[in-house]
Amino acid sequence: MDHLVQLVLNGLFVGSFYALVALGYSMVYGIIKLLNFAHGDIYMLGAFAGFAILTFGGGALGGGSSLLTLVIVMIMAMVLTGSAGLVLERVAYRPLRGSPRLTVLITAVGASFALEYGIALWAGPNPEVYPVQLKSTTVHLLGARITINQLVMMAIAVVLMIGLDLIIAKTRSGRAMRAISQDPKACLYMGINVDRVISYTFFIGSALAGAAGVMAGAYYGKIDFLMGFIIGLKAFTAAVIGGIGNVRGAVLGGVLLGLLESFGTAFLGSEWRDVFAFGFLIAFLTVKPTGLLGEKVTERV
Amino acid sequence: MTLRKVGFGGLALAAALALGVSGCGGGGLTSGSDKSSDDSAGPIKLGMVAPTSGSSAAIGPYMKNGAKLAIDEINKKGGVDGRKLKLVVEDGACDPKTAAAAASKLVTAKVTMSVGGYCSGATLPTLSIFNKAKIPMLIPAANSNDLVDQKLPNVFLVNGTGTQQAAAAVKQMKKQGVKSVALIDDNTSYSKDITTKTAEDVKSDKSLKVVSKQSVTAGESDYSAAVTAALKNHPDFIYWTGYYQEGGLLIKQFRQAGYNKTIMVADGSVDTKLIDIAGKKNAQGVLATMTQTPQTIPGGDKWVAKYKKQFNSDPGPYSTQSYDAVRIAAKAMTDAKSTQSDKIIDALENIDGFKIFSGPLKFTPQHTLTSGGFEILIVKGTKLVLDS
Repeated sequence: MDHLVQLVLNGLFVGSFYALVALGYSMVYGIIKLLNFAHGDIYMLGAFAGFAILTFGGGALGGGSSLLTLVIVMIMAMVLTGSAGLVLERVAYRPLRGSPRLTVLITAVGASFALEYGIALWAGPNPEVYPVQLKSTTVHLLGARITINQLVMMAIAVVLMIGLDLIIAKTRSGRAMRAISQDPKACLYMGINVDRVISYTFFIGSALAGAAGVMAGAYYGKIDFLMGFIIGLKAFTAAVIGGIGNVRGAVLGGVLLGLLESFGTAFLGSEWRDVFAFGFLIAFLTVKPTGLLGEKVTERV
Repeated sequence: MTLRKVGFGGLALAAALALGVSGCGGGGLTSGSDKSSDDSAGPIKLGMVAPTSGSSAAIGPYMKNGAKLAIDEINKKGGVDGRKLKLVVEDGACDPKTAAAAASKLVTAKVTMSVGGYCSGATLPTLSIFNKAKIPMLIPAANSNDLVDQKLPNVFLVNGTGTQQAAAAVKQMKKQGVKSVALIDDNTSYSKDITTKTAEDVKSDKSLKVVSKQSVTAGESDYSAAVTAALKNHPDFIYWTGYYQEGGLLIKQFRQAGYNKTIMVADGSVDTKLIDIAGKKNAQGVLATMTQTPQTIPGGDKWVAKYKKQFNSDPGPYSTQSYDAVRIAAKAMTDAKSTQSDKIIDALENIDGFKIFSGPLKFTPQHTLTSGGFEILIVKGTKLVLDS
């Protein structure tokens, strides 16, 4: 019983990171049908932005290792990665809008490498240790162990997700996003500034990934320039499981993938973790390619 | 078959090119057979494949500096047989493909001996490349048994092997009266080798039992799945055989999961970054199996001071082995009075009692160290010190 609860908690915690990163994947795909493979590296960029802020401005923030410091740093890093997302879209994707999808996909892969090795040039190829390491108080929950920090991070993730859901459901820009995902051309005729909305989408998605990056850095303590690669693939998997293009689906997919990995490894051994995760992706693509919450797309002629 | 042909063709072409170039530069100074013409002019090149990028990038400079220190010392004393030594470093990135390309580059650069090799998985493909080019290898860091199992005549290990490391680990477990052990590796040749050998050693012992064997994927951050699985059977002792990046995270995540018994790491994790990543408090008391280092050898501080003076930083893992590899290479060439592969290999096999950091050197018939020289280190404060 304890063991089961522990597995669920592990899964939920990892899943909340997957979900945060998956959101950006799903939003961008939903609007411009682009698989932004550089998205995982935006997560890495967030971790490094947080690292830089804490290293160079740690004193000004009180230097404490409190969660409040973390939240402030996280917001600053979100602005930075959001802006990076804007630049990425402007430089790498917008000039290619309308080109065949394969072209844009390859650009995305190129952008991913550019980000990774750009950071490696700037920060060096060695892993960095986060200057703030959160002290952890462990609480026992139904016989399983979880730290307060883990709980707070999951709470932050949930708050961010709810915030995003509200933006999409209630605001004008959110409505514009939904409209563009339906029919970008018609939106253009209706006087919607499509470019601006796409930029806005990139900003929000990248900011969320950046937030996840800062949290991962502060929690795990180690960051390196390739850290975005695997989580990018996992987030993509999560987005597909949930139904790519669907924001709530991305959250569901992330949490589900976290739980699947947690249980899968418990029964098969930890070397099977990635086999299990990506095997599930393949299974989904064959059996239900639209994902759990995805709608079936009918091509209009 | 075709691939091999291409490889030979490429080598032949490269060799021809190199000869052409040296012929031009030499300006007719040299004569005689092609081999000796190359041998007697210019510095003797020692090649080194070491990671200066990628996941183990931290190690490359340590190895390079160690080798550089030895080369400078030897050159100051007049070099080998009147010729200076020169180090040529290529990045292996701890990646088999990159390392193989790096080794080919060194062959093209006409190195006389190789004194590199860090990650076992990446060093493996370089063995046959150096073997075909008849270049003797002194491998300072990589220590998987897979390397000597190839039974190549040109391969010598200056580091203890996985078997020796596993024996040291099991000895420590017995010393602590441990009953159950969890082994964790990262699925690389080096790491898997140690866990397999450790499990074999444990099997032959009735009082000891391996209760869990896990493999993790390197480069991830969350190892809670492996941690939970390893702790399911309540082991008394955990032995991690991979590298320090994952090692640090594992120690941290084990401690957070409430595990307060002994954790031991293998030599790939011996780096102060391990303590940084794990967090100072979590890492206290963590043990490590490691070959001797200057910090643990009487009189070693003098060497450390010299290293510090030249490179303005502390020596790290495998600085000493790389330093020794160069000295052994020089010794073998001096003994052989030649830079010819066969003679060097003979000289290496005949070395007896040459003083290196891990003790007097004598190679076993398998070309490994007679004694691995493994000892147990313990984390105290921010350093790894000899466990007394």
